[in-house]
Amino acid sequence: MRRSYVVLVSLVSIVFVLAYVTTYMNALGSICSDTRYLAKLFLALTYNPDTNSSLKYFAAMSPEAVTAIVWDYRGIDTFYETTVFFMAIIAALTIYRGVTSPASTTQGNGLSLIVKVVTKLLIPMNIAVAVSIAVHGHLTPGGGFQAGAALAVVSVLLAVVFSGSSFDKLNISISKAVALRSTGLLGIAAVTFIPLVYNLVTGVQAYLMQSYVKADAPFAFPTHIWGQLISGTLIWLNVAEFLAVSFGFFVVFMLLSLREETVRKYLGVGDGH
Amino acid sequence: MDMTLVLTAIFSLIGFIFTCLAVIEKDLPKAVVFSAVQSAAYAVLFYLLRAPDIVLVYVPVSVGLYPAALFFLIGKSERVEE
Repeated sequence: MRRSYVVLVSLVSIVFVLAYVTTYMNALGSICSDTRYLAKLFLALTYNPDTNSSLKYFAAMSPEAVTAIVWDYRGIDTFYETTVFFMAIIAALTIYRGVTSPASTTQGNGLSLIVKVVTKLLIPMNIAVAVSIAVHGHLTPGGGFQAGAALAVVSVLLAVVFSGSSFDKLNISISKAVALRSTGLLGIAAVTFIPLVYNLVTGVQAYLMQSYVKADAPFAFPTHIWGQLISGTLIWLNVAEFLAVSFGFFVVFMLLSLREETVRKYLGVGDGH
Repeated sequence: MDMTLVLTAIFSLIGFIFTCLAVIEKDLPKAVVFSAVQSAAYAVLFYLLRAPDIVLVYVPVSVGLYPAALFFLIGKSERVEE
């Protein structure tokens, strides 16, 4: 009992010391002060429609500085994050190899009627929000991963509220989810390699994953469609990432919602751990 | 004093209390719920610290996907920690 008091007191004192250091002593720089210099630089450069200025070579043509950094200035970084997620899903699929149709073997009734009706109303809203976050990722906070995570909640709701068999009723199978996820990954690869193809065909200098003109590479993805800002590669990468992430999570939760006996039967393992 | 700092302090405290509860709790589903409440407090913190991009990914992952994954895993193992 005395030990837990010591732990509590030390935790509380750590919290107070950290709070004091970060607020009154400005250890992380002053909070709620003016925008920092680096942030000002990015905000000034990220959306720069003035094509006569040489600053356009630093522009990402997106008013959303975060998405511009995530998919343009540091695009390769996000590319590798996607690769890590891809490997995680592949690992899950490898463990559950051979399990093709989960839902037909799982029978459950799900939760009560009230919960089901409320969830039925929530799911379309959830899908709408997810798609909106994805296609507005280059304009407002959000992007491919955020939208994918939002849509993945639908798979959790389906598995928990309507039971695992609901995937079968809605005609969503693991192979379909994997196909949609692969479509997303292929989309990212296509956007990455289009500048290379352009370079091979026309001989004009272009960089992998290039979105907008650079000083020595005049290649640029279209920044507008029918007068709407689409910010070059950003919207395509966001939509592709949205597919890859959301259906990656779909696969994982469809596999996790399987009954243990079913998995054992498919994998041919006995009762032992 | 700035209102943002006061709100940040309040939500940090909520997050801190629920982190402690999640660590101490032996009943794992309860611990997951405490962890989700802590995440909700942190989501507000991210918003107060002007990181709306993080809020959008943090809310579905920490309140929806992560507890769901943990519930599935608890369902496949044991409910109470020994």
